[in-house]
Amino acid sequence: MIPAPSIEITNVSKWYGSVVAVNDVSFKVMPGITGLLGPNGAGKTTILHMTAGLAKPSDGDIRVLGEPIRGNYKLYSRIGVMSEHEAVYNVFTGRQFVEFSAKMQGVADVPGAVDRAIELVNLADAQHRPLGTYSRGMRQRMRLAATLVHDPEVLILDEPLNGTDPRQRLEFHDLMQKLASEGRTILISSHILEEVETLAETILLVVSGKLAAAGDYRAIREKLDDRPFQLRIVCSDPRKLAAELVKLSAIDSVAVEDDGSLTVFSRNVAELQSSIARLAKAADVRLIQMEPLDESLESVFSYVVSR
Amino acid sequence: MGPLLSLSLRQVAGRRRIAVIVLLSALPVVLSVILHAKFGADREFLDQFPEGVINNLLLGVIMPIVVMTLATPAFGNEIEDRTLNVLVLKPVRRIAIVMPKFLASVVVAGSLLTVTSVAISLIALGSGGGQAAFAVAAAVLTGVLAYSSLFTWMGLVSSKALGFALVYVFLWEVVLSQRIRGIRYFSVREYSLSILHGLDDETFSVFEPRVIEFEAAVTASIIVIVLFFFLTLRRLNRMDIP
Repeated sequence: MIPAPSIEITNVSKWYGSVVAVNDVSFKVMPGITGLLGPNGAGKTTILHMTAGLAKPSDGDIRVLGEPIRGNYKLYSRIGVMSEHEAVYNVFTGRQFVEFSAKMQGVADVPGAVDRAIELVNLADAQHRPLGTYSRGMRQRMRLAATLVHDPEVLILDEPLNGTDPRQRLEFHDLMQKLASEGRTILISSHILEEVETLAETILLVVSGKLAAAGDYRAIREKLDDRPFQLRIVCSDPRKLAAELVKLSAIDSVAVEDDGSLTVFSRNVAELQSSIARLAKAADVRLIQMEPLDESLESVFSYVVSR
Repeated sequence: MGPLLSLSLRQVAGRRRIAVIVLLSALPVVLSVILHAKFGADREFLDQFPEGVINNLLLGVIMPIVVMTLATPAFGNEIEDRTLNVLVLKPVRRIAIVMPKFLASVVVAGSLLTVTSVAISLIALGSGGGQAAFAVAAAVLTGVLAYSSLFTWMGLVSSKALGFALVYVFLWEVVLSQRIRGIRYFSVREYSLSILHGLDDETFSVFEPRVIEFEAAVTASIIVIVLFFFLTLRRLNRMDIP
């Protein structure tokens, strides 16, 4: 028997006046980690707001754990939502903020639940400091503790890694994996490809308010790897390196620019990346600088959408 | 409601805001002390006290400004700081969010202005001013409840609620309701004044020619309180939370 989806979005649209923010989006989210990926302004936050019941869809239907979410306040005892904005009450210490959340959730053992939640985000040492004195990353983690304090079945997290450092990202990654392995459903948004690729098995790719791709991360990644790719290379002997590069099957063409740099066109990023350093060394050419010319997320998304 | 009422009280009781409303609430007391010291039990002072200090200063200016200072940010600040979603994403009815916000303004403004009401009545009328003090306090509490309901709603529907509230008070309550008799049936200040007169028509006989019926004032006050509380609830239920 196929398990019921934790989140079910059916033909959902949202418009503000004449501006269409989300256009006829449908998807299902199953237990595990699902990444909602898209460039800034793509409509991710609007989708998450509607999924959390904060905003009313102009059209379509949203169900969380089998029930309509909008106006269904009882459902919030089973859902944890962390918005993009670093909204905290600065009159509280970190612990008081999590306690407030636990009390509003009607948690039975408030001190125990608060201890556990703060321990999960590794902020026990700073829990009695006012929230106003926290760094951005610490605030995000304490907000996550407040989101987790009632042990929700479904987590909706909007750009939760904003402001966190690499170590905190690793800890967050481990925590999400642990929560997902316990059977929870986690829908997490990001505009950073690498952030989601290490976290989510399933991806929902949103571009210009539409769902551009959905499904297994690897299948989407293959599409991305297969996209035309431009690389600018500055090296000690551009003509010699160009002569070697054109021999590679991964290379479509190489152009020597007026400023002496090389522009390389390729459809096989993986092979290009693995070969270029070896090739340069064999040709005794020193690589000075390499930079992708079209690596912006928007160009990647545009390519996926156009296919 | 406990944790949210506690939070709401902490929010409205910010040091700067409390300092401003304590100073405003103390103004009629200071003025009464000065006038009493100057005129004592002079008949002219006692005749002018209800109109000058109670109607024009306390009910006309101090009471609405103190309440708007507390009530418009109750939801306004939550929207501006984007913390409103912290509240609405909890498994509680919307009324459990609106009620503490409303009560926080009522508790703080009500207690401060009740002290002011009793103090100015006793200063002006001496130990025989007990009945008058009760009437002033009841009138002020009615106004605080009605204005709290109105200004809490304003804070939820507009980011410029404080400005709109100031314009409303000075245009509607201070200027128009004093000049156009029909408006008195739609003025919170006039409800307070009529309740004041209804509870002590001897001390406040000066208001006899202008007040509306006591029953009408009580009923209209209840309608304003309930109506704007309901509109706040309705708005919170229907709006997209930022």
